[in-house]
Amino acid sequence: MSSARTASRLSRILAVVPWLIANPGAMPADVVERFGYSGENELIKDLNLVFVCGLPGYGPTDLIDVSVEEDGIYVDMADYFARPVRLTAPEGLKLLAAGSAVIASGAGSADLESAVDKIRMVLMPGGDASGAVEIDFGPEPELVGPLRRAAADGFAVDITYTALGSGATSTRIVEPWRVYTTLGNWYVAGHCRKAGGERLFRIDRIRDAAVLDDRFEPPEEQPPAEVHYTPGVDDVRAEITLSPAAAWVADYYPVEEISVGDEGRTVVFSASDPGVTARLLVRLAGQARLVSGTDVAAATADLRSRILSRYRSGD
Amino acid sequence: MHRVLERIINLLAFLLTAGRPVTAEEIRYQVAGYDQEGDDAFRRTFERDKDLIRRLGIPLTMHPTDQWEVEQGYVVVPDEYGLEDPGLTDDERSALWAAAQIVRMGGTGTGAEAIFKLGGAPAQASNEPLAADLGADAGTLAVLFESVTTRRTIRFSHRDSTRRLRPFGLVHRRGHWYVAGEDAESGAQRSFRVDRLADVTAFGPENAFERPEGFRASEAFASRPWEAGPDDIRAVVHFDAPVAWWARRQLSEGSDSDDHSDGSLTATIPVAHVDAFIGWLIGFEDQAEIVAPADLRRRFLAHVAGDS
Repeated sequence: MSSARTASRLSRILAVVPWLIANPGAMPADVVERFGYSGENELIKDLNLVFVCGLPGYGPTDLIDVSVEEDGIYVDMADYFARPVRLTAPEGLKLLAAGSAVIASGAGSADLESAVDKIRMVLMPGGDASGAVEIDFGPEPELVGPLRRAAADGFAVDITYTALGSGATSTRIVEPWRVYTTLGNWYVAGHCRKAGGERLFRIDRIRDAAVLDDRFEPPEEQPPAEVHYTPGVDDVRAEITLSPAAAWVADYYPVEEISVGDEGRTVVFSASDPGVTARLLVRLAGQARLVSGTDVAAATADLRSRILSRYRSGD
Repeated sequence: MHRVLERIINLLAFLLTAGRPVTAEEIRYQVAGYDQEGDDAFRRTFERDKDLIRRLGIPLTMHPTDQWEVEQGYVVVPDEYGLEDPGLTDDERSALWAAAQIVRMGGTGTGAEAIFKLGGAPAQASNEPLAADLGADAGTLAVLFESVTTRRTIRFSHRDSTRRLRPFGLVHRRGHWYVAGEDAESGAQRSFRVDRLADVTAFGPENAFERPEGFRASEAFASRPWEAGPDDIRAVVHFDAPVAWWARRQLSEGSDSDDHSDGSLTATIPVAHVDAFIGWLIGFEDQAEIVAPADLRRRFLAHVAGDS
């Protein structure tokens, strides 16, 4: 048996024993549910193991006393295990961040808010802990709430969507499965009836959404809350050299790095539309140089001249 | 595994009740499970057990066994081992558990072990479609978080320099984590993006500083990139009808806007960081135009022409 499994089993035992001490007469079925046991057998195995442990001497008066009666489970002679192990820093952070994230996204409850406050107090006793971990998703698009409710209740929505790459606007009926935030943006994932397949939409690019009186069956398996950008065959690829001042591009976008030289890092930038890369290049101005990519070069020149001619006509 | 678990539970029981540092020799001859082992086998087993105990977050430390400090012994202090009861209700436990399941952070698990420490959670069927991915390297964040909670100063490298910071808080904003605090040398309030930091370590004693009362890490940041910076300009921009909705959605409360009957929009936007503002405006391509001030218009055109 792996040490990871040993560790997680031991960790659960050290949490269950204090609970049983504090709640004499707990029913096995409740303990199984509360601590995620697969069944009563698994719980009894852990209890049998605790039953043969204790203090040196290891006689009847030194061992932990465990009894499983008709009216519940009783643990005695184990006062030294009356408290569970303190939360580690990663555990404490994860709980606070998760609770704060759900509250920040508008899906929190009074129970969650008081739970987060209590955890903060335990992690930072005596101090003003309120500002220690904060989650801010920025001004979220007002459609997050309605789309989340439509996904939870299984109603299709009619959306007007402007694509980020091409700028094209379309209306489509989507069966929303999941609403999530990652990399600073909100997304809705679901089945798009117009495309006939699973699609991902950035919520701030949805101009309008109307919830329809049209129920759908959500899939058994929800897609993971991730933005996977896998370059497709139709993608436009461009080789770009980024100066040190533009190094953030390589951290922000999923690029392939080719080489690092005196001039900076050279990467391959893939996008569904050359317009995306052109906007990035115009924005970076002297901080990036296009090495190869004829479509992107043309799109960049076109974007420059369109903007400049608009300003000229106004002058 | 049965034997391993029994042995470690016996060891913890012994350490928690000893009330003094106990040597490896004492452990070997007193704690059930080690008695059968030869010297080398004992050392190997004991090392593995100590690793496992520390991995669970149990504070196992070494102290001299007496005032002459000839021998070192092992200690687990009950008050450092035990979690102070936060007094959660079952509804609060369930709410925390549901939150932990839908929020991902740097590849760490669902946090079931933390929930078990808090008394577990009655199972519940959830059809919550919400999810959030907070990204980030959980290891670095944990070091920063522990320093915030124990009030220890941290040291890290940032853009080829080494800095020391008294960390007051962590904030996740728009996909990135930031640590905010006070520069240990200058005393100035600073914030850093966590993924730009390298070699983060805590040093010195705990409780080394006081967090300012009511400190909120999030207030150290402006809500739009172009609202934080050295400039102080009010830009007047005309947005064409097809992109007016997109501009309106992104403008913050500090902006004034006039809707025109053709669906277009003229907005007056406070700009504190001209480069960030120009970068944002390029996203509107030729469907937006800076009306005033003239100097900002010139800078924008020079940037687009590639002259800057």
